[in-house]
Amino acid sequence: MNTFITILFVVFAVYILVAAIMTVTVKNIVHAALWLISSFFTVGALYLLMEAEFIGVAQVLIYVGAVSILILFAIMLTRDLEGTQNRQMTPRWWIALIVPAALFGLLITPTVLTYQWQLPPPAPAGQSTPIAGAAQIGTAFVREYLLPFQVASVLLTVALIGAVVIAFEERERRRYVPTLAEKVRQQQRVRRPDPAASAMQSSETAGSET
Amino acid sequence: MTEITIPPIDWRVATQLCIIFGWASVLLIIALFVPRSRIRVVGYLAIAGLVVAAGAGIPFWGGSAETFGGMLRLDTYSMMLNWLFLAAAAVVIAYSLNYLPKHGIEHGEYYVLVLFATAGMMLLAQGGDLIVLFLGLELLSLTLYVLTGFAYPRETSEESGMKYLLTGAFAGGFIVFGIALIYGATGSLNLAAIGDTLARAALAAEDRTYLYAGAALIVTGFGYKIAMAPFHMWAPDVYEGAPTPVAAFLSVGSKAAGFAALVRFLVEAMGSQWPVWAPALATLAIATLLLGNIGALIQNNVKRMLAYSSVGHAGYMLLGVLAAGAPGGMAGQRGVEAVLLYLLAYMLTNLGAFGVLIALEQRGELTWDINQFAGLWARRPLLASAMAICLLSLAGVPPTAGFWGKFYVFTAAWQAGFGWLTIIGILTAAIAAFYYVRIVVQMFTAEPSRETPAETDPALRAGLVIAIAGILVLGFMPAPAIDLVQRSVLATVGGQ
Amino acid sequence: MTRVDIVILIVKCIVLALAATGVFAYFTLFERRLLARMQNRVGPNRAGPAGFLQPIADALKLFFKEDVTPLLADRRVYLISPAFAIVPALIIWATIPLGMWPDGRGGNWLQLAEVNVGILYLLAVTSIGVYGIAIAGWASNNKYSMLGGVRASAQVISYELALGLAVLGAVMQAQSFSTAEIVERQTLMWNVVPQFLGFVVFIIAATAEVVRAPFDLVEAEQELVGGYNTEYSSMKFALFFMSEYVKLVAMNAIAVTLFLGGWQFPGLQTLAAAATQQYGFVIGNAVLGLASLGAFLLKVMLLSFVSVWVRATLPRVRYDQLMDLGWKVLLPLSLANVVVTAVLNVFLPDSPVVTAIAGLVIGTGILLATAAIGRPGKEKRRVTLVQG
Repeated sequence: MNTFITILFVVFAVYILVAAIMTVTVKNIVHAALWLISSFFTVGALYLLMEAEFIGVAQVLIYVGAVSILILFAIMLTRDLEGTQNRQMTPRWWIALIVPAALFGLLITPTVLTYQWQLPPPAPAGQSTPIAGAAQIGTAFVREYLLPFQVASVLLTVALIGAVVIAFEERERRRYVPTLAEKVRQQQRVRRPDPAASAMQSSETAGSET
Repeated sequence: MTEITIPPIDWRVATQLCIIFGWASVLLIIALFVPRSRIRVVGYLAIAGLVVAAGAGIPFWGGSAETFGGMLRLDTYSMMLNWLFLAAAAVVIAYSLNYLPKHGIEHGEYYVLVLFATAGMMLLAQGGDLIVLFLGLELLSLTLYVLTGFAYPRETSEESGMKYLLTGAFAGGFIVFGIALIYGATGSLNLAAIGDTLARAALAAEDRTYLYAGAALIVTGFGYKIAMAPFHMWAPDVYEGAPTPVAAFLSVGSKAAGFAALVRFLVEAMGSQWPVWAPALATLAIATLLLGNIGALIQNNVKRMLAYSSVGHAGYMLLGVLAAGAPGGMAGQRGVEAVLLYLLAYMLTNLGAFGVLIALEQRGELTWDINQFAGLWARRPLLASAMAICLLSLAGVPPTAGFWGKFYVFTAAWQAGFGWLTIIGILTAAIAAFYYVRIVVQMFTAEPSRETPAETDPALRAGLVIAIAGILVLGFMPAPAIDLVQRSVLATVGGQ
Repeated sequence: MTRVDIVILIVKCIVLALAATGVFAYFTLFERRLLARMQNRVGPNRAGPAGFLQPIADALKLFFKEDVTPLLADRRVYLISPAFAIVPALIIWATIPLGMWPDGRGGNWLQLAEVNVGILYLLAVTSIGVYGIAIAGWASNNKYSMLGGVRASAQVISYELALGLAVLGAVMQAQSFSTAEIVERQTLMWNVVPQFLGFVVFIIAATAEVVRAPFDLVEAEQELVGGYNTEYSSMKFALFFMSEYVKLVAMNAIAVTLFLGGWQFPGLQTLAAAATQQYGFVIGNAVLGLASLGAFLLKVMLLSFVSVWVRATLPRVRYDQLMDLGWKVLLPLSLANVVVTAVLNVFLPDSPVVTAIAGLVIGTGILLATAAIGRPGKEKRRVTLVQG
């Protein structure tokens, strides 16, 4: 059974990486979103494999079920869905490849060199008992992690306010303040009525009547 | 049903935070019921809340306490920074009171968001745990993204909000990843606990790699926030597009909060690893000093120039951070003091400079070309002299606050053994003086090329007067401020 | 877990999937006959006795229809989206306890998987069900399909919150995320009494979540031709059709599990005890299993009848009404329900009857008050045409 789980882990991990790479490389933005979703979903499966059921299901519920739907929704609402004519790579993409690869190599080398390839793996230092299960997580939120929990809730409130402030256009409430240039133009218009502007105005009134 | 007992909380530690959080929430509701024409009342109420919060801290000065299992602390260091943040927020709100209606973007939420941002900064100063630091940073950043894009119909504002959001989210990702790696290496998220673990015993090779990688990622993330080179690219664009009071807030508060957290992280958690991170950070400091000051040199747009200069100032503060981590109690303490004093001086000065910009700004006039300052002295002598004082202080000319800030930083760096860095700092300060003086020359000697109307209002004037008076008082009588700063110590620095 | 267990598990999966498909087939017949009755018609009654073979005839017809793929469709996504639609509809059944047939080892033959976060699983699977619709609408490269897909994603996001919070009330009542545990806790009293408000919100939100009348704007014929499935034909269309009905029945099954006592029925345990005493454990368990399955199916059928009834009665809502109902009515109501449940359970922890009655009274009161305050979107809105 252990090897079976290991195989599953490798399959999932590879799939997550492939999906993530596809997300940033495919040109069609909806396809990118779909790859992202599948990556999220597999991360959930990975959590399940580690017997963190709550987090696994929460991952699917939140990332696949809510966040990605919003992403897809937003993408579908935009025009020019394909975006395939845009260039994906910058001319110096190879620098961007070399630097992270070198950093990653730097990171992984000592690990590979010193890791004891035996089971079971050593327990992390200073580890307290792992928190698993909805009830324990809930209790931890109101005890040890009370402050982060509260701050996170404030954070979400602020995000909500911010989204409303930015996205909500109060057409009838926003007072229009003309700019300097517009003021000047208005003054000019008073002197010499602009035929184009008056035509536009009449069409606007016609539009609101229908 | 299982009983859930909440561990006792030391409310003294969280008093100021609670006041700001609570008052912001109350104001959010009040703003709904205030008629639109009088929305400014919300701003006054916000200032009142900030003043109350500042006053509420006074009884606790001098002590040191922690609560929420060490996640939140209050020492004189964080108290001092809290006061700085509260003052900066108050001045920014005062600046905004007339700016917002003038530009047709007056919403009650603006003031509430400034309060929430202040709370985020205070969390960054008080946090004793990586999670809290991260959440504080996110709270601060999220509010600032919104505030940057607050002048919604204006395209530059939208653009800068978007740019700030993208880079900021990226930086947030770096920090989370770094936290994860550090947790993997040390098994703890608490700064003091991490410091203990690292001081007690050497880690295994792989854990050490994770630790350094994690620390590098965290420094990178905070580097974005304090506009440290090479992570400073966003600063000019964002400062240029953001509503000017918000740009002031960004340049002052956000940077101060980033430094507050960076010092705490590097000194408290990574203090024992100073020999490792000091050379790296020194390199970054040099890059920051050079890129910031040379970048500012070639700007003709005053707002962009101030952005680049703020990058340069981050470099000077990094010298203080380097010294703060130095082993041997005295040098380290000098470093923390230097950062604080520099922050104080920088805050006063930058707030003053941005105040003058706000007075000169007109709706629809989106260029802050240096020509606009031509002959300002002839038209508005008071504004011109205020700007001159600020610029001289930024340059670090002697009888101003900026001089003492630079002096203290250079001394601290010298004492910590960074002689060559100090020399580079002095050289770049000389470069910086050139572009600051360029504006002064424009203001005082050039013929006015065109009429730029300037409007001031009582609140803006009050803010300006506070900033200028601060610069001058600190310049001529630095003793009280230095005394205050010397008593602001990281709670654990003495213990190490 | 031995090999035998795995084989049993696979067999259970197959049986469940087939059962769900069969339920779908006969639900269509049930719905058509019932709708016909309600509209004073006869309905399909030619194929077989009383139209009993009608679903099979329909299936055969769909099999032999021409399978058309639009030329400008995004081919891969177009082909995969029916699978995206049907898979969640089928796997959602995994954690629903269909009955109680003890297998003698602490398990239950009539529940595929007992996980301790079963409710969250249900919510997660429900929420991913919309992908099939959304990407089918996009991939068809047809503006009506696209509008259907966009509407679907917006609608499902909006109602998911209310749905989740309504479920949370039942979870708080049982203090468990496990479906089996929630059913177990309803031995004394079904959750519909203490959670009356939650039940009402759940039924409405679930109807919207499976985009069924009166919330079927996704495929509003008068506006969008066929909605997201306009460009689909033959078996691919059949899969969408099927996923809709299977999801509907699954939602009703979840409602039964959470609020109507699941497989519990008065006298069930007495019957099982008598059978055990008379004929031994095996027969006793079988009697319990079959009887509980029957009770469960009966309740599901009752709710399905209500679904059809609602479809026959209520006209389709307008889009702004849909959003108003979701965000301004159901979400606050479900939040109120969570608050009431929490407060009642904390203050009256040891008296379930009092809690239940208080919950029922308060819930009904809130509902009546909401209804009295007024329907959303009642004020006449000015429709302005935008000139493009």
